[in-house]
Amino acid sequence: MKQEFQGYRRPNGQVGIRNHILIIAIDECAEGIAQAVRQQVSECVIVTNHYTCMYAGNEELVNIMTGAALNPNVAGVLLLNMGCGSIDPTLIATPIEQAGKPVRRLSIIRNKGTRQSIRDGVALAKELVALAATIPIAPVALSELLVGVKCGGSDTSSGIASNPAVGRAVDALVDAGASCVAGELIELIGCESILRQRAVSPAVADKLERLIQEEEQRWHVPGTEVETMSIGNSVGGLTTLEEKALGALHKTGTRPIQDVLRITPQGIETPKAPGMYLSETTHLCGGSGMHFAALGTQVILWTTGGAGFSNPIVPVIRVSGNALLITEDIDVDVSGIMSATQSVEQAAGDVLDCLGRVIDGEQTAIEEVGFAYCSLYQKDQRLETLIHAQPV
Amino acid sequence: MTVKAIRLAQQDNVATLLSDALKHQAVDVIDDKNRLVGRYQALQAIPFGNKMALHAIASGQPVSKAGHAIGVAISAIPAGELVHVQNVRSQRLDIPPAIIGQIIDQMRIETE
Repeated sequence: MKQEFQGYRRPNGQVGIRNHILIIAIDECAEGIAQAVRQQVSECVIVTNHYTCMYAGNEELVNIMTGAALNPNVAGVLLLNMGCGSIDPTLIATPIEQAGKPVRRLSIIRNKGTRQSIRDGVALAKELVALAATIPIAPVALSELLVGVKCGGSDTSSGIASNPAVGRAVDALVDAGASCVAGELIELIGCESILRQRAVSPAVADKLERLIQEEEQRWHVPGTEVETMSIGNSVGGLTTLEEKALGALHKTGTRPIQDVLRITPQGIETPKAPGMYLSETTHLCGGSGMHFAALGTQVILWTTGGAGFSNPIVPVIRVSGNALLITEDIDVDVSGIMSATQSVEQAAGDVLDCLGRVIDGEQTAIEEVGFAYCSLYQKDQRLETLIHAQPV
Repeated sequence: MTVKAIRLAQQDNVATLLSDALKHQAVDVIDDKNRLVGRYQALQAIPFGNKMALHAIASGQPVSKAGHAIGVAISAIPAGELVHVQNVRSQRLDIPPAIIGQIIDQMRIETE
């Protein structure tokens, strides 16, 4: 395991592995203008609030937008808003300024409309790109790395190949002093007793169990019941929900769990010490990518059958064990585990090698394609009240 | 060619098939370090990704995969038999009986 990576040091001390300029379309109607700016300034990535332009009850969403802007892979931020919505850009700009990160604002109505805003947006984005170019890249200790861990597009191979391989890689990363965070509490229903034993304290164990229970309730309100096991899952070989959950659990490795990080209307919980963490990340891929961005992860390990989730802020390394679905989109092929020609340890080594290259600047399989859709996900506050979710 | 199955943890009483096994076909069981741990005979067709019993599992006994209980046997399962929805139940959240029926039909699982 290598001990260093190449990073960009931010004014608040955090270190990124990419030097992106982020355009946030605070209102969905600013999306087109954000895209038009990006067409002329290719160094930009875009996050759009597709949820609503209204503030009330959406504090969690605003926190995620702010967290995404504060992600260490972001060098500078351009905030776009239409001017008639109620989310005040100052709410997002202030914490970015406080972190010492360059931020520019453009309010479209006040700025004489779409075309003028595109022209000005391009100028501001170019200014941010020039500022970013002055940030040197330098070796950084592995202890400054936070890796997101997620599964998606799961199939039979996931629980046997990609999840165990990533789990061992995660253990090696934690042992080397890095931090990892895995999420999807709904996927861990049935794993509570194992997770309790891994929790560093009874308080963390209780928090973990309570949050899994809340997530179960959230997705099983009568009339909106979510499919926790599909027929396809079962035909593929999964017999019970516990089995599915244990497959998903593999990707979290075996090291002690320091805490469960939450993003709430009150704020974002981030790791206090190196180690293995869980988070409240949704099992829905797009939203989880933004959640991981807001938590400050620089890179995500994503286990899959053969799909291709991506995120514009945090590079996603795709690990698949399904030989039939390996395409040029997959970064690490661990299908040798399924054909009994590769051990889980060897596969974990391949995962770590790829991670090592990506954190040193090499692009992931589809990173250079550039565009990746970004969903901002937040818990429905009406539902939170309904299930009596415990406030922080 | 011999069919292979992987036993993910030493205490497991099931192994996962790495390719389809036909009825009566020999199955080589390996551990997670690719070491052969035994040769079994599939008592019925077991598709890729599904589980085969490594020992006789009594009714009411937990089924263990990757070192953890994934459910409880609802009938006696002899070594070599398919371990799945027809003979195992979740202890947490059951699949509705109608869906279990559909899975058994779709997979053409042999049941007595």
